[in-house]
Amino acid sequence: MREVVTVQVGGHANFVGSHFWNFQDELLGLADDPAADAAFRAAPLDMDVLYRAGETLQGVPTYCPRLVSVGSRGSLGSLSSSGAPGLSTAASEQLNITTWSGNVTRSVAKPHGRNLFLQSLAEDQIASTSNGGSNSQKNVEDKDLVESLENSVNFWTDYTKVQYHPQSLYEMNGSWTDFEKFDNFGTAREVVSEWSQMEDMNERLRFFVEECDHIQGIQFIVDDSGGFSSVAAQFLETIADDYTNTPVLLYCVRDPVTHGSARNQRETITRSLHDAVSFSKLSSFCSLVVPIGLPTLSQSYLSPFLSIQDAKPFHSSAISAAAIHTITVPFRLQNAGPASNLAHSSGNIDIRELAHIISDQGRQNKVTALDVAMPAPSLKDGNDLWNIKSLHSLTPEISDEEEDPYSVESLVVHGVLRAGGQRASISQVKDSVCAAYECRATKPKFSHLSVSPCPLPIPLPFPSFFRSNIGRHGEIVGSHSEGTLPKGSLDVESIPMAARLRSSNAVLPFIERRSLSLQKLGVARGALGTQILRDWGFGKEEIEELSEHLLKMVRMFHPEDGLTSDSDYD
Amino acid sequence: MSIRMLNQNAEVLNKSAALHMNINAAKGLQEVLCTNLGPKGTIKMLVGGAGDIKLTKDGNTLLKEMQIQNPTAIMIARTAVAQDDSSGDGTTSTVLFIGELMKQSERCIEEGTHPRFLVDGFEVAKRATLEFLETFKTPVVMGDQPDREILKMVARTTLRTKLYEGLADQLTDIVVNAVLCIRQSDEPIDLFMVEIMHMRHKFDVDTRLIEGLVLDHGSRHPDMKRRAENCYILTANVSLEYEKSEINAGFFYSNAEQREKMVSAERRQVDERVKKIIELKNKVCSGTDKNFVVINQKGIDPPSLDLLARAGIIALRRAKRRNMERLVLACGGEAINSVDDLTEDCLGWAGLVYEHVLGEEKYTFVENVKNPHSCTILIKGPNDHTIAQIKDAVRDGLRSVKNTVEDEAVVLGAGAFEMAARKHLMDNVKKTVKGRAQLGVKAFADALLVIPKTLAENSGLDTQDVIVALENEHDRGLVVGLNHNSGEPVDPEMEGIYDNYIVKRQIINSGPIIASQLLLVDEVIRAGRNMRKPT
Repeated sequence: MREVVTVQVGGHANFVGSHFWNFQDELLGLADDPAADAAFRAAPLDMDVLYRAGETLQGVPTYCPRLVSVGSRGSLGSLSSSGAPGLSTAASEQLNITTWSGNVTRSVAKPHGRNLFLQSLAEDQIASTSNGGSNSQKNVEDKDLVESLENSVNFWTDYTKVQYHPQSLYEMNGSWTDFEKFDNFGTAREVVSEWSQMEDMNERLRFFVEECDHIQGIQFIVDDSGGFSSVAAQFLETIADDYTNTPVLLYCVRDPVTHGSARNQRETITRSLHDAVSFSKLSSFCSLVVPIGLPTLSQSYLSPFLSIQDAKPFHSSAISAAAIHTITVPFRLQNAGPASNLAHSSGNIDIRELAHIISDQGRQNKVTALDVAMPAPSLKDGNDLWNIKSLHSLTPEISDEEEDPYSVESLVVHGVLRAGGQRASISQVKDSVCAAYECRATKPKFSHLSVSPCPLPIPLPFPSFFRSNIGRHGEIVGSHSEGTLPKGSLDVESIPMAARLRSSNAVLPFIERRSLSLQKLGVARGALGTQILRDWGFGKEEIEELSEHLLKMVRMFHPEDGLTSDSDYD
Repeated sequence: MSIRMLNQNAEVLNKSAALHMNINAAKGLQEVLCTNLGPKGTIKMLVGGAGDIKLTKDGNTLLKEMQIQNPTAIMIARTAVAQDDSSGDGTTSTVLFIGELMKQSERCIEEGTHPRFLVDGFEVAKRATLEFLETFKTPVVMGDQPDREILKMVARTTLRTKLYEGLADQLTDIVVNAVLCIRQSDEPIDLFMVEIMHMRHKFDVDTRLIEGLVLDHGSRHPDMKRRAENCYILTANVSLEYEKSEINAGFFYSNAEQREKMVSAERRQVDERVKKIIELKNKVCSGTDKNFVVINQKGIDPPSLDLLARAGIIALRRAKRRNMERLVLACGGEAINSVDDLTEDCLGWAGLVYEHVLGEEKYTFVENVKNPHSCTILIKGPNDHTIAQIKDAVRDGLRSVKNTVEDEAVVLGAGAFEMAARKHLMDNVKKTVKGRAQLGVKAFADALLVIPKTLAENSGLDTQDVIVALENEHDRGLVVGLNHNSGEPVDPEMEGIYDNYIVKRQIINSGPIIASQLLLVDEVIRAGRNMRKPT
């Protein structure tokens, strides 16, 4: 078993994480459920990779995610930072203070109400401990729960059904930083420079890493749209120091809302600089970077199947979470060895190998595009080619150009169906995908394929954004008819998924843009952004270093004219 | 008003409105914090939206917890917190003092005085007060054997404002001993060398000082001893886990056999390192009843743990980075980065190493060390908010002792200094100032009284009575402070109430600077903020 520790930093990262852990929780539940789909019961995924077993002070066994989540103060909503629901107001009033004999003033913040979903979750827990859980008493219908979630998600904790470890949730103290304006790299300076907070975060992480016997890597989800990227950069730097040989897989996620148009020139400059600086910083301390977050999902190619509302982080984060889930599937496949039963799974790989495959061959490029097919198309009978074209990018600002003879890819397909609606076997999927690869005009230099029969389970607290053309098991039925209500977790049980990490020149524009803007706004003589960068605490040399780092990444794509590419920016 | 032409949305506050805004903000902040001050202050219990509880009596913590919006208040709060960062205490006093300076100024300004005169007066008064502080302070000779009693008095004065008396007195000994333990002659005191560890277990009074170190993890092998006496301690930063080495050294193999070979080669390297440690252990321990403990900053994988366990070595992995430093200071020896030339000199020593398990949490105690220069304060408490509050108090206590050692001076507390400084300003300094700047000196002098006044108020005493009584004593040439129980004047020296010199100095220094800046504001323009995206 090779453990993975997960770190989530920032608002949207926690939204994504909340969905991600809901999937895992659902998988755990389904594995024990005799009524569930056979693909789940076979439990091909080793959950110990992501979860740890422990016990509370009272000796009650627990099974919690290996997770450190960093958020702003108050971002946990009605969940207390110990992972348990907090004390009620009444209970806190009765609490006696043992450390002070003098007067006491209580200042009680207005408690965050728990929505229907969390209430029913709490009721279930009480019911299951008292009388073994009788479903007849359920006074709230699942339908209402799903509906309430559509309208009442304010915090990522509003739809989480996972029990977190007391060490997992960390609320960052922003002293006076107004978190609404926590929107660029410089705003987190106070937090980052305050030694004790960074130390606390490192301690939390160390707690989880220390108990791992063979850690395979750290997956790090960061909301890089604001000040959290500088917190994450600092965090990553200490990780690189403390766990030298542990690979870090970094997902930079963004809420589509943050892509809104800038109001004035200054804001445009600030944003471009933020993007450039945070990308340069973050990418220097990890093994692979996966930028995720299209400016709009509602208008994307996902729209024929999913009706996503960009304004709801509850919606947009679900897509990123599903994609991240798919990418992590191979880390958890049992290491079967080359000869053992292929019926179970194929292509297990760990984070180190993945990073090695993608970034260490030919070009030393560690920025990858993430493509996803949700739902993944079924295999057609007779026609052996799996539809590679169904994969579309979630990474913004990349070129559409598919064909790059030097590209390196890792494709994960899980839970794919056959035309009849049964689960396709591993070998069928492999054959079909390989055949499809053979037919491509330009084949990638190297590709890796992982296949698992286990589809993405749809937990109850999942947005209702499936269009009517999605069947119960995620099959595509007929065409979408306008005007029908979107389906939710009650109508769709599971979804076959495919996701691909791709290191090709498609990501070049993404890097180039950042490199150029830093060059133009930060480094060039009399640049407009020098003052902003100085306010963020960067010296001249540091800026040049950041810029050089970006240039180097661009140069990876032009091995033949290594130095001349410099001149493009003068 | 020309700003209006540039930006129609700009809001402009003119002179008197701007001044009032600043004064009100300062007064508001003062009001929030004034009940905190002193041993009779009020503790604040903050309950968050999710029911999280935070207990604090510390101005600094409180300011950080509050979501302050008013820009003036933010300025004051920043000054106060900067005060805490540099000297460890005095946040509440700074806020009170600034608030009071503004309040006193308001009165003068209403009567027609220009703020400029007040500011000039402040400057004179500040300098005079700082000079007075130099003569007023009580020098303390540190030398090789510092006066434990005076350190205890300072620590007790601080701690009693944060915790109830019994616990405060218990912690007083702990923090004083902790600082004296890490103090090395000719070197600045590094408080990080005092580890603060907590266990959610038993009661607050079980908090204790451990001369040695407590680590928050244990060994990860079932066969390792849970308790050992007479231990050699090897402090290491060496990876003892099998991993592929640095970049580009990936496996390039063409068949399974080749792969196996490479894997075993890598494995062998790790095993070599483990063997070297075992060799050293055998060299120093064989034939004696001594034990061997490895504390490693890097990882140790199960096969390595196995080898070590079989050799009778206790091994801990992934120790905190800072503990490497602390271990060396506590146990001696040196932290090694490679196992290549291990000798006995690298090893530290501890009389006792044992593990303590609480649920899934493990603690390893490294105790009975020879003349330690690092130690651990182990805080115990029944719940998280109690622990957090004690932790804050311990930090403040440590700072106060450190300050005393470094200042080589203390200042009489309980309001005695403020009373004496005021008398000095009114009797001696005011005369030397010409014109209306005198008003500034007077305002400054009166503002100093906010400390004894608030102390009296928080103790439920009549402020007027107290101030009059104190003034009378001072006029008679006696230096007295306030007894918060009886309301009578009392000699702080007899009661052992001492404050930090540096803290007082900073309050006197920074308070008037901020107050002056705020007084001299004659226009407030609010533009831009509203124009940002309405979130």
